[in-house]
Amino acid sequence: MKILVAVKQVAALDEDFEIRADKKDVEEDFLLYDLNEWDDFSLEEAMKIKESTDTEVEVVVVSVGPDRVDESLRKCLAKGADRAIRVWDDAIEGSDSIVISRILAEVAKKEMPDMVFAGVQSSDQAFSATGISTAAYLNWPHAAVVADLQYKLGSSSAMIRRELEGGMLQEVEINCPAVLTIQLGINKPRYASLRGIKQAAAKPIEEVALSDIGLSAADVGAGSSMSRVRRMYIPAKGRAQMIEGTIAEQATKLIQIINEFKGA
Amino acid sequence: MNNPKEVTRILFENFHPQAIHLFYAFGYASIAVFIYGCYVQIRKYRRGKPDGSWGELLHRFIDMVKTMATHRTLVRRDKSAGRAHGLIFLGFVLLFIGTSTITLEYDIIEPLIGVRFWYGNFYLWFSLVLDLAGLGLIGGLIYMMYRRKWLHLPKLDYKRVDRQLGGADIDRSEYRREDWAFLWSFILIGVTGFILEATRLVWLSGRPSVWDYRIWSPVGALIAHIMKFVGFTPEGAGTLRLGLWWFHGLLSLTFIAFIPYTKIKHIFTAAASLMFKDPLAGRRLPRVPDEQKVAGYKTITDLTWKNLLHLDACTKCGRCQEACPANAVGAPLSPRDVILSLREFANHTLNAKELPKEAELDIHGKDIGQVFMETLWSCRTCLACVEICPVAIEHVPIIVQMRRNLVEAGEMDPLLEKTLQTIHKTGNSFGESKRKRASWVKELPFRIKDARLEPVDFLWFVGDYASFDPRNQKVTQGFARLMKKAGVDFGLLFEGELNAGNDVRRVGEEGLYEYLATANIQSLDDCQFKSIVTTDPHSYNTIRNEYPDFGGTYEIQHYSTVVKKLIEDGRLPLAKKLNYKVTFHDPCHLGRFNKGYDAPRDILKMLGCELVEMGRTKDNSFCCGAGGGRIWIPDPVGIEKPSQNRMKEAAVIEGLQIFVVSCPKDLTMFEDALKTSGYEGKFIVRELIELIDECMEYDFPEKEIAEEKMVVETHSVI
Repeated sequence: MKILVAVKQVAALDEDFEIRADKKDVEEDFLLYDLNEWDDFSLEEAMKIKESTDTEVEVVVVSVGPDRVDESLRKCLAKGADRAIRVWDDAIEGSDSIVISRILAEVAKKEMPDMVFAGVQSSDQAFSATGISTAAYLNWPHAAVVADLQYKLGSSSAMIRRELEGGMLQEVEINCPAVLTIQLGINKPRYASLRGIKQAAAKPIEEVALSDIGLSAADVGAGSSMSRVRRMYIPAKGRAQMIEGTIAEQATKLIQIINEFKGA
Repeated sequence: MNNPKEVTRILFENFHPQAIHLFYAFGYASIAVFIYGCYVQIRKYRRGKPDGSWGELLHRFIDMVKTMATHRTLVRRDKSAGRAHGLIFLGFVLLFIGTSTITLEYDIIEPLIGVRFWYGNFYLWFSLVLDLAGLGLIGGLIYMMYRRKWLHLPKLDYKRVDRQLGGADIDRSEYRREDWAFLWSFILIGVTGFILEATRLVWLSGRPSVWDYRIWSPVGALIAHIMKFVGFTPEGAGTLRLGLWWFHGLLSLTFIAFIPYTKIKHIFTAAASLMFKDPLAGRRLPRVPDEQKVAGYKTITDLTWKNLLHLDACTKCGRCQEACPANAVGAPLSPRDVILSLREFANHTLNAKELPKEAELDIHGKDIGQVFMETLWSCRTCLACVEICPVAIEHVPIIVQMRRNLVEAGEMDPLLEKTLQTIHKTGNSFGESKRKRASWVKELPFRIKDARLEPVDFLWFVGDYASFDPRNQKVTQGFARLMKKAGVDFGLLFEGELNAGNDVRRVGEEGLYEYLATANIQSLDDCQFKSIVTTDPHSYNTIRNEYPDFGGTYEIQHYSTVVKKLIEDGRLPLAKKLNYKVTFHDPCHLGRFNKGYDAPRDILKMLGCELVEMGRTKDNSFCCGAGGGRIWIPDPVGIEKPSQNRMKEAAVIEGLQIFVVSCPKDLTMFEDALKTSGYEGKFIVRELIELIDECMEYDFPEKEIAEEKMVVETHSVI
């Protein structure tokens, strides 16, 4: 039995950040990287299955990203994942979530897992698309925003509860193998001690090139994506103004402002 | 004098040879049982991990003898008990030496080379000394009995605070029975010894070489006269003597046989514990070897032999429990209970011939002898217990080792977990950007050197609380002004500084500590400076005592030492005198940890303050509750916090104006506690730096002066 957990290293903004010169992203110096919060939960869910049985269960984490991602992968290894895979090629830079999911699907085809877990979304880009499109590429059943999972090892289906709006839950039986995107709070992720992370350095992180999974530079990157970032910016803040004076004066002033706004 | 050779005691006088043989048989049996018991104990200790305390044995031995001879650690904070113990100890040692001397002559020297020395004047002085020793012994024991029976000391009731929720091992009455059995058997040995002496005198009252010298055994003589007075004949006394002799002899031999199996073993274990004492216990925590798979203590065999020995040294005196801030506010922790639990666990699992299975050796959990997680997390690593333990038990290192295991298993408060992750990510516990670490310098009217770029005399290691906490930033700026005013050449690491790691290590996150310590050491090594200075006692402790283990050996001073010297040298002229009535709270990490008791007090005196000490002061200072990472763990609602307890203590001082601290965490804890404990308006909490700052006249440019006058608030309250 094998569970593939797709994870992402997300960026958080430091104080007083600056936008990159090409205006398409934040200057790298102002970003702090860490494992996506949702991925802590999906990995924990995989670990729970692994630890609930004596049968051999291999938990493999996979991520698409440059060298720096190894740090987050080591954290996953420290928490108990058996193996980590990192796919990278400079051509991947600029890919949208659909291209990323195509890469993940190719890895999944090679690994042949019994389940694929991903986070509902990433905290930095929040497309909520990667996991689900991976299922589309694999032509597997999928369920999004999973808040509870009952899965018996080797079973052909799993019972899940999906979180809906308004505090509702939807109970779904889903055929396996399937792709599930896991919601926060489904479990209590374990703590990865720094010693654990250090010791995980001994576990392998397999570096996979595009050619290893049957893709080429032409299949990835901004050029092959269906969406592209045009610019990133901080919107001008709105201003509030107190209008003072008698009722009549206030009304006059208000009309004046409205007219100005209309461009009259 | 009669023939001196006749002035002695004839051993086994009028005994049948068979009786003597029988007595020797008992003697050998007793020694055999004793040796076997010792063997089992040593086997137990050897099942622990190695410990590096074998160095400087002679030095350690001399230290131990000094401590034992002076009873220094026993009279601390409990004079009567200490002195009574001193009498028992002295009595026992002299009587032991006396008995050994007789054995030496009777069983070894005389049979071998035919020489005798136990007669005449030597014998008489010997009798007198041993009589007084026996008197001391009995006197001490009587006081101990009185203390146990009538003083009703809470520390002696053995009520378990760590098992508030119940548990199979909540009953401690066994310990009380053992205590009384010990006292009674010991005192019976002493009393029967004297009566025996008296019966012999009466029995041999016709023999001048005995009766004429009775004054040399005054207690025996007194009892002999009483016996004669009530009508004992020599024959009657002789008969009584025989029975009493066997009773006294067998009781003594049984006592010896029981030593390794009962609390009497503290004769040896306490001495050994003192001998292997680590002067830096708790101040410098042990490293985790890189090759060790799981950090910390999970099973009883993870403890070192020295830890196991410490467990056996405990005499349940309760001084640690009395000093413990967690215990004082009703947290489920008594350092004594931790030690006793582990001891019971060790005796249960490690005394058998075969070591039980790994799973049965787990010391974490809720079963008999196991230590609760809540207990371990209640500890504030303030070292109050280690400081006062009369037999040098090192509780805190054991607690931290056990926490290391909990951290590895993720068994901790969620907020603590979050903080540790934050520290890893940002290098500080506030989760602030590294860039903001030195943002407090912006408000100063002068530039502070970047020690990474130019050499400085003093490298100022600021620490998290002093850097990021808005209230403490005011103090930090105050210290910068003092340094500038005095013309000290100093600089900072700016964003190159990370959390020093002192509390991270005491939480038990050793991996994160190693990361922080090595990163800071690297930064420090890249700078040129003569000495480090800090206003943070926590950083001070770890840089001073623990960084050397990671290759960073630096001279470091707490600001109080530096400023005291600056004032004395006239480099910080005091523009005015403060007439405040103040009390001073010793921060654990400055006082107890590093013995920095005097400099802050000297400064307060130089400032003109009237210093009134609180009841718990200096080495008995009461932790604010922030230590050991507890500042990152919310205190339970509804029970008193240690800091509030402290406020209550300070409020007793009549006319107190200022509660002075010299630690950033203290300032945070006590300003909060002042409000929540209802003493707001009665007195205020101030950093020592703020008081010094108040006495300064600065000549910095105009615009900045306004900001500095936050001390003005001080006046309005007083």
